[in-house]
Amino acid sequence: MNYFLTLLIRFAYFLDSSKKYHRVKNFIRMLLEQQNSKLKFYFDILMVTLVICSVLVLLYEVKHPDGHPYLEMFVQFSLIVFVIEYLLRLWIYSNNHEIFLKEYEHAIDNHIPFSMIKTSYRIIRKKIEYMLTPLAIIDLMAIIPSYRPLRFLRIFLLFRIFKLFRYARSMNTFTTIISEKKFELLTLATFAGFIIFAGSSAIYIFETHDNPKINNLYDAVYWAVVTMGTVGYGDIVPVTHEGMAVAMVLIVLGIATLAFLTSIIVSSFQSKILELKESRVLSDIANIDNFILICGYGRVGEVIAKMLHDDGYKIVIIDTDAQKIKLAAQRGITGIVGDASKSKLLGELGVEKKVSKIICVTNSDEMNIFITLTARSLSKNIEIIARVIKNSHKKKYFLAGANFAFSADETIGLMGSQYIDQPISYAALDEMLTENTGVLFESIQIHENSFYLHKDIASLELEERKILLFGIVRQENKVPLPLQSYPIEDKTFYFNPPLDFIIEAEDVLIIMGRKHHITNIRKQSDKRPPK
Amino acid sequence: MSTIGKILLFGFTRSAIEIGGKLREKGYDFSIVDNDASFENKAHTLGFPLEIVDYSDDTVLENLGIGKNVQFVFTLFEEDVKNIFLTLSAKSLDEKLNIIALTHTKDAIHKLEIAGANTILDPYQISGKRIYKLITQPEVMNIIDATVFGLHDINMEQITITETSLLNGKMIYDINTLERYNLLLIGIHDKELKEKFIFIIEGHNHKLDAGDILVVIGQSENIQKYKKEFNL
Repeated sequence: MNYFLTLLIRFAYFLDSSKKYHRVKNFIRMLLEQQNSKLKFYFDILMVTLVICSVLVLLYEVKHPDGHPYLEMFVQFSLIVFVIEYLLRLWIYSNNHEIFLKEYEHAIDNHIPFSMIKTSYRIIRKKIEYMLTPLAIIDLMAIIPSYRPLRFLRIFLLFRIFKLFRYARSMNTFTTIISEKKFELLTLATFAGFIIFAGSSAIYIFETHDNPKINNLYDAVYWAVVTMGTVGYGDIVPVTHEGMAVAMVLIVLGIATLAFLTSIIVSSFQSKILELKESRVLSDIANIDNFILICGYGRVGEVIAKMLHDDGYKIVIIDTDAQKIKLAAQRGITGIVGDASKSKLLGELGVEKKVSKIICVTNSDEMNIFITLTARSLSKNIEIIARVIKNSHKKKYFLAGANFAFSADETIGLMGSQYIDQPISYAALDEMLTENTGVLFESIQIHENSFYLHKDIASLELEERKILLFGIVRQENKVPLPLQSYPIEDKTFYFNPPLDFIIEAEDVLIIMGRKHHITNIRKQSDKRPPK
Repeated sequence: MSTIGKILLFGFTRSAIEIGGKLREKGYDFSIVDNDASFENKAHTLGFPLEIVDYSDDTVLENLGIGKNVQFVFTLFEEDVKNIFLTLSAKSLDEKLNIIALTHTKDAIHKLEIAGANTILDPYQISGKRIYKLITQPEVMNIIDATVFGLHDINMEQITITETSLLNGKMIYDINTLERYNLLLIGIHDKELKEKFIFIIEGHNHKLDAGDILVVIGQSENIQKYKKEFNL
């Protein structure tokens, strides 16, 4: 016995450390359970086809009990698949070796004798726990009747239809609706049960002697249900005045009950449908990579989203207001209703990996700072840009981890005062910032194969190309030049460099010009120099 | 700076505090006007002159100096309705008044234009465009922030051509004297042309007359020296 135990312990530790074992189990999990996995999608389609075909075969066999050899083969095949599926689901539900090891370590740590029986009990209990879940019962019922001695349970093969629940997500919604409205439905069922009971006993008392169709209580209940359900086949009709009165009351109450039932289900369906759409959008977003997340679709968010969307950037919007998200959807922008300050939501959206930038532009500083903190706690590298509403809060944004934060008020202050003594330079500044007249402020990165590499600024022929050079940004590690320069972050900015300034790799030219002129010079820069 | 009359800032808002701060730095005569007496303490601690009056009354506006020595009016309320109403009242008192209005909705921009605002500031548009630029052209925004808006001594200034200036009568492309002071000519304002401002890169070679305005970027010190040398 002791030898056997040692063997078991060794085996459990072996499983625990085996990479292959975990890989296989994870693969099965992905195949069977993980939502949104491609593999599960194909597997589900296969299973749905199998279920439908096997039910069709069953229906065929009602009139052709002898069957067909090929059909028989198919039935056997689908049965095998179902059995394997059932066993795999049972297997991945819990990790036996983990329970075993936990019990064993617990025993060793606390110096109590290790009980094999107790451990087995725990392991088996866990498995039974799974077997008793509704979906597992359905699975089992779909298999058992195929066993010859239990052939009389054939009708339970129809349980295979219920198996479809597993593979279609929208079916799950229906079950959740019913379970969510349990209280209402239970109240209604009690009420309906009471009416049926009262109605059927009344008709039984009044008519059992006068009406030849009502011979026992079963007939009376059947009549009450048919009447209450507003079906009224008319196979049993009341013949006494009292019976008719019962029928009238029953009909009115029946309509009321049905209306109540319908409204419960419809209302909860409507709220659920929204959630369902949401999860659709979430899984859509799961397929987008490297996108920009805009938190808040107010006026600022709108402006940014529109311009980025027009430029072809991939963006996703979060806002708490469903109305605004609807508006975004109408404009062709993906959006979800939600609270961006929740770590869970940001995590689901893939802030760690798939979001390149987060823009916080809600209409409150508290919210923006909170989102900034949340995003920063999820990812160290993500770029966070925030709009400051009250300028005195600006410092807090940087403390929370924002890369950029600025307030419109600051700009307005500057522009407002500029307007007073320098209205023309204000107009220039305004146009530089808004780019309304089509003159753009852009940068050109000089790469290692650029046409302009090691050339001077005169050779750029800026005047002919109708480009204005504002300055050049150079990396810190280069030799400093005796020119008017300013340190900006870890780089050096040379303002208005002279014509003999030699351009080097990694330089960034800050230029101004019309779009097509900028495009031209960019194209020229990308050309390889003649060798 | 005595050529510029009094400046009125309507609405004790965040924007008013920002603009007021900048105006104070430059030494202008300004006051903030609001009808809510509860701001008095805050204005006092910040050191801003605040006048509590009912600005919906035209006689009050006249008493504040509109139509007399007031030359600039800022309407900086959070509510567009107030801004539009004030713009209208002020404009009706003085045709030549320069009104800078703040707006919070897209709708109001057009209404403010009709009401007679000379310049309209849209903080949402400004924020939105800046964030957009930061994403699409991060280098550019960094440079603008650090230089024109920032602490570094690179400023944008306008230089008006005077009758006696050496530049009077010269063609734009011929004024290569700017290089000596490391100034960058961004564009000009030609009083004969309707457009307020023309970028130099638009490529019109143009004869400078008295009253034309050059917009240059450079160190303030250099701009002053340049002005001196060319008698501007």
